[in-house]
Amino acid sequence: MSQELTHWLDDLLEEIEGIKVRRKSGRRVRADVPADTLPALLELLQGRAGYIHLSAISCVDWIEEDEFELVYHVWSYESHSLVSAHIRIAREPGVYLSVYDLYQPAGFFERDIHEMYGIHFEGSPNMEKFILTEWDGPPPMRKEFDSEAYVNEHLSWQEYNPPWLQELIAEGGGVIIPPEEQRFSRKKD
Amino acid sequence: MSSIKQIPVITERKGNPLARVFDEFVRFCRSRSLFILHYCTGCGAIELPPAMTSRFDMERLGIQPMVSPRQADILLITGYVSIKTLKRVILTYEQMGSPKYVIGICSCTVNGGMYWQSYATAKKLDEYMPVDLYIAGCMPRPEAVLAGLQKLMDRIHSGEANSWEDYFRNYDYYLGNQQKLFGENWQTPTDIITEAKHYDLIDEGTFGKHTQLLEQHQKPLEALDMRLGHDLKEPTE
Ligand code: SF4
Repeated sequence: MSQELTHWLDDLLEEIEGIKVRRKSGRRVRADVPADTLPALLELLQGRAGYIHLSAISCVDWIEEDEFELVYHVWSYESHSLVSAHIRIAREPGVYLSVYDLYQPAGFFERDIHEMYGIHFEGSPNMEKFILTEWDGPPPMRKEFDSEAYVNEHLSWQEYNPPWLQELIAEGGGVIIPPEEQRFSRKKD
Repeated sequence: MSSIKQIPVITERKGNPLARVFDEFVRFCRSRSLFILHYCTGCGAIELPPAMTSRFDMERLGIQPMVSPRQADILLITGYVSIKTLKRVILTYEQMGSPKYVIGICSCTVNGGMYWQSYATAKKLDEYMPVDLYIAGCMPRPEAVLAGLQKLMDRIHSGEANSWEDYFRNYDYYLGNQQKLFGENWQTPTDIITEAKHYDLIDEGTFGKHTQLLEQHQKPLEALDMRLGHDLKEPTE
């Protein structure tokens, strides 16, 4: 059955211009499409192939190529297979179309990506803060955001091996296990 | 020399000896009836169900979970504390009645653990509230949790576990760290300074430039409206 499915899915996908299909395994298909044909692809998959479940939208920041990659994962309950549609959009201005009218759960994913990467989705119902409601810095998942520098500025580090830890070790507690007492070295003899 | 010098001399506190007996008795009772409020912030919370239920059964030590901060003695923070959560943790802590104890479970509460360079988690819990005891580990087993609780019981019994007083005595320090993280407008709905006066725990560290800053921004606290239901709008009729 899965062989048959493969064929008609391939035929269907060929209708999209500029598509590159790669089969990752029996149930996973990766499709790379130009950004402007993605809505057409999703419409096709949803309307004619039964991929009715948008399980996630993920985002990758390719800072060196100055691009964001958006991946739309759609799942079919009939053929039990997943199609991942990959697109690339320019990092600046970082605007893309919402697919909320096709898949309503996209509203949440787009809101999340907007918060974490600062991508704006046109036509998405709500671009308000989602989880980081009390955060007013830059979108933290962008590669240019230096998390460690932020920590250095706003938080302080615990001392390494503080005196109270040595007291604990003297009592037989603590975290330091002498090498000769580690289990794998015991196993040898 | 003569053996007389080897006899230890105990210098006791002056006052009513019965009062000391009573203090001792109070501390004993306190250490044997502890109610914990477990603020399950992180993954370490998963070790608490076995610690509470029949396998390890912390109730045999007289320790029980409690539902509200007002009635709890121990605030158990079980894992990484994100900055957003930290605000809630502080609000919860301030609403607990004294004496209160804080236990930080998991390495994440000690030094940030594996989230050491995350922008979203606090690194040292004891900068924001006094912590009585840390139980390190990623995550600590129920045995370790029980051992930690027993240690806390001993310390309550011997009167050493009084770090809650430190929050009043050094309020300026804790408030300063909170303001550094949450911004200058940070204010909790609990009036710590009045409470410190009530407990007679005003010290040099209670006031400082951070409490001054708080006074500038402080909005007067108002009693909350008591009403039933979740609709906050006025009824139309
Ligand atoms: S110390 Fe480990 S188990 Fe505990 S909260 Fe941190 S990551 Fe989770």
